Amino acid sequence: MSLLSETFLLLRKDLLLELRRRDSLLTMFFFGTLLLFVFHFSFDLPPDKVAEMTPALLWLAFLFTGTLGLAQLFNAERENHCLDALLLSPLDRGALFLAKTSFNLILMVLVEIVVIPLFWILFNLNSWNLLPQLFLVTFLGTVGFCVLGTIMAAITLKARARELLLPLILFPLMIPIILATIRCMENVLRTGELSDALPWLRLLLGFDVIFLTLGVLIFDWVIES
Amino acid sequence: MRLSIDKLSKAYGFLWALRDIHLELQSGQLVALLGPNGAGKTTLLKLFAGLILPTAGSIQFDGAPFAPGALDLRRKVGLLSPADHLYDNLTVSENLRFFASLYRRRHSPAALVQTLESVNLGPRRDDYVANLSSGMKCRLSIAKWQLLQPELLLLDEPYGVLDGSGVDLLEGFLRAHCAGGGVVIMASHHVSRVLQLCSHALILHQGRLTFNEAKQQPWPSFDRAFSEFLPHGGS
Repeated sequence: MSLLSETFLLLRKDLLLELRRRDSLLTMFFFGTLLLFVFHFSFDLPPDKVAEMTPALLWLAFLFTGTLGLAQLFNAERENHCLDALLLSPLDRGALFLAKTSFNLILMVLVEIVVIPLFWILFNLNSWNLLPQLFLVTFLGTVGFCVLGTIMAAITLKARARELLLPLILFPLMIPIILATIRCMENVLRTGELSDALPWLRLLLGFDVIFLTLGVLIFDWVIES
Repeated sequence: MRLSIDKLSKAYGFLWALRDIHLELQSGQLVALLGPNGAGKTTLLKLFAGLILPTAGSIQFDGAPFAPGALDLRRKVGLLSPADHLYDNLTVSENLRFFASLYRRRHSPAALVQTLESVNLGPRRDDYVANLSSGMKCRLSIAKWQLLQPELLLLDEPYGVLDGSGVDLLEGFLRAHCAGGGVVIMASHHVSRVLQLCSHALILHQGRLTFNEAKQQPWPSFDRAFSEFLPHGGS
């Protein structure tokens, strides 16, 4: 079986389990929405500060929401020692990495599809025409978050205080992604163009490709050691 | 198949769980792995299964080293852990289909139903595993390994959760597995039952292999080793 068919098999299993349990998606969705309401009631967003503050606030919500998802990423495998069952099998460990990354990416994209328009509604923003470009940048940032997050979630899998440890080691490593994504979004909101943010976009793409490749290559060592 | 273990040792920090294990096993052997608590039985099974790495020494299947990257060799090894290694929120048949796909075992829906019928789980095939009793989960694990057909089957305390008919089912499966050329290594504290079934016995004590013999009738050397290391064992 190829890497992709193994990935699809594991992803299908994870989606089926999530469909039945709905614990990760609902937690992430409610937490993300709750954060937006907290932001909304905490401060106003003056028109001249929209480009500056919107990306930071959105990414703050995505980071916390995404970390909640990552903390539950291997829950199904923790029950009944199912991770051992997977490691016992001839499964390519790279497929496990790709499946878990894709699963978390799907959950985060679903949350973002709700959270971003809700942010526009709550803060009464009128730049709806920029949403497709913002979604593209957010998607690239989310890929980077999920790739790096899956590696770190696997590293902290057997740690006792993993919920605390995961953000502690993930957030500093996420700085290049957060910086590039926020700068890209800021550029889009200021100028309405994505072309002005090309250097940041390249950095984001490069980060995604490098860590995705690295993840596939090193995941067997990460998960088995 | 031939399983060779040479100078196998495993340490957890400064504690040696296993030291200098030498062993040769051949097709058709059903091996009883005995020893008091903490002797290293589960560690040895985990090493065979490739779930942990040895500190020193090697394991070879038919001359090929069993290393973390040897994914094709992993298809030859199964670990039957009575109520573990099953997804609670998948149904009985979904679990079987998932693991069969993972091990690249083609099977028809009829074969899957037949396998479940053979362990008396046919009527429960659409139930979630979470709703099964421990004994039923163990029966499902037996069905799983019937379907996956590993060459080396490892079992860790399989008797605890099974009723009388479940024990008969398990022992029938293990006999058939060995008759088909497979190797079984079973760790258990149910000494009298395991001794009836096995063709070979190993005794581990404080991480060392202190007894390694084919079964004889009578078996005075085993009785001596057993009374020395397992003075309160047996059932």
